[in-house]
Amino acid sequence: MKSNSREWARTAATLLRAVALGIALALGGTVVTSTKQELIRPAQAETRALRVVTTTEDLAAIAREIGGSRVTVESICRGYQDPHFVDAKPSFMVTLKRADLFVEVGRDLEVGWAPGLLNGARNPRILPGAAGFVDASAQVEILEIPASVSRAHGDVHPFGNPHYWLDPVNGAGIARAIRDGLARVAPADAALFRERCADFEKRLAEAVPRLEARAREIGITGARVVTYHRSWSYFARAFGFEVVNFVEPRPGIPPSPNHVADLTTQMKQGRVKLLIMEDFFDPRLPQKIARDTGVPLVILPTSVGAEDGIRSYFDLFDHQLTRIAQALKGAK
Amino acid sequence: MIELLPFLLWPFLGLLCIAGIHVYLGLHVVEREVIFVDLSLAQLAVLGAAVASLWGLDPHDPPTYLAALGFTVVGAVVFSITRSERGRVPQEAIIGIVYAVASAATILILNNAPHGAEHIRDVLVGQLLAVEARDVRRLALLYLVLGALHFWWRKKLLLISRDPDAARAQGVNVKRWDFLFYLTFGLTVTASVEFGGVLVVFSYLIVPSVVAALLAERIGARLAIGWIVATLASVLGMLASVWLSAPPGASVVCVFGALLLLTALARPLVART
Repeated sequence: MKSNSREWARTAATLLRAVALGIALALGGTVVTSTKQELIRPAQAETRALRVVTTTEDLAAIAREIGGSRVTVESICRGYQDPHFVDAKPSFMVTLKRADLFVEVGRDLEVGWAPGLLNGARNPRILPGAAGFVDASAQVEILEIPASVSRAHGDVHPFGNPHYWLDPVNGAGIARAIRDGLARVAPADAALFRERCADFEKRLAEAVPRLEARAREIGITGARVVTYHRSWSYFARAFGFEVVNFVEPRPGIPPSPNHVADLTTQMKQGRVKLLIMEDFFDPRLPQKIARDTGVPLVILPTSVGAEDGIRSYFDLFDHQLTRIAQALKGAK
Repeated sequence: MIELLPFLLWPFLGLLCIAGIHVYLGLHVVEREVIFVDLSLAQLAVLGAAVASLWGLDPHDPPTYLAALGFTVVGAVVFSITRSERGRVPQEAIIGIVYAVASAATILILNNAPHGAEHIRDVLVGQLLAVEARDVRRLALLYLVLGALHFWWRKKLLLISRDPDAARAQGVNVKRWDFLFYLTFGLTVTASVEFGGVLVVFSYLIVPSVVAALLAERIGARLAIGWIVATLASVLGMLASVWLSAPPGASVVCVFGALLLLTALARPLVART
């Protein structure tokens, strides 16, 4: 027994040494490679494309519209993920380390993960306050900024509702914030970005009345709707429907039986036309409520890239309205 | 209150089904000192579902269920083998390692999985309020079959749980019976976790059995006490959920904790008289 434990101790010590050596080598390698990059960068900066990193694919799609061939754009969160929760991966830090411009939705949407990634990337050019940091919400009219904030209401956003990209009108504000950011980090191309932004805004201004007409045609405008979370306020305003209740009124806290009962009664009696939820939540409870009440449930993408066909900011709204039209038609 | 009954009826009946088989299995689990084996097997089932999603299967396809089952069987094999290697490595360590590695592997797979894998995580959360008549029927049927097997083999299964050395001395193939135990256990837990979530299932498995161990020695008495405790917790938990307007799963788990605390406080009084 005694010789046995000594053997164990020796094996463990050897293992520890091997691990320590491995870590030392890896750290050394990182330092060497990163200093190399620092040396190369200034010379190349004038000719290579600007590296834009966004938190969501909606921002990425708009950044591509504004930057054109002058930028390469990468998004951290995939379109089918919940942007409130993203698992930090080392590759994200490498991406951010090299970024020239960082664009976030802001209003605390990414507060759970973006600050940590930004600090970890140690890239002073994209930290909040620097030229390469863009809060895309800066030029958008934000709804639901609370008078007082308390944890008692669940996971609320003290800086207002951050889901503003779900109103196509707000695409213009996002585009202008990105335009200004790009112009700060690449002043020589400012005119190009201005021109591309104006073009995007023009196409958006043409698309909005078309989308609004479509919403009226499919019967969602003026409807009473229940949504899963409080995340559809902008979408509701854009297409003129009323959100009368939520399945999960306090985000992240499962609803109580009382709430589900009240909601079901309200949906049965209250002429509720549609139940909307995001594509990344557990659909079991909404499905049951839909079956119990006969109100159709529609599971909507909330972001560019959520499905194969959604490549541009415009595609997103087309897809959402098509999905709603199918749900409403199926219910009749 | 009355108007809430339709919403609580099926979740409540489902919880009673869970109580029926988990209280019994919990006696085994506490005897064997493998407290977290349910989490471990449930996580393996989730890993199986995650692997199935790599092949492009939907979380609700039957092949996904088979993949989850396959991984549970692997867990049953591992746990039945490692139990006999006693002395050097406690089995609870193996169970913990399987849990950690299965969780981590699931994260790695979901990391690269195609779209749709987000929902696999939901398997461990459970949605009590979403439960419907057909869910309860399915659950009850599965538990009846597994419960009947356990009743049929009760002598051997109880012996290997309580006293494996004695079983070995009688010439019982302990590894084979251990495998059967973990297989039926894995099937049960995988089904119930999807229904009520990890926290709820863990509580139904362990708390009644611990309360019973505080109060009684014989297996029949423990089973009776356990069922009473679990039924009481289901009723009080559901009522608390309505009174406080709180999520039902968390309410039931807290009621279990309170019942255990009351038993522990009352035990000296009972023992003295």
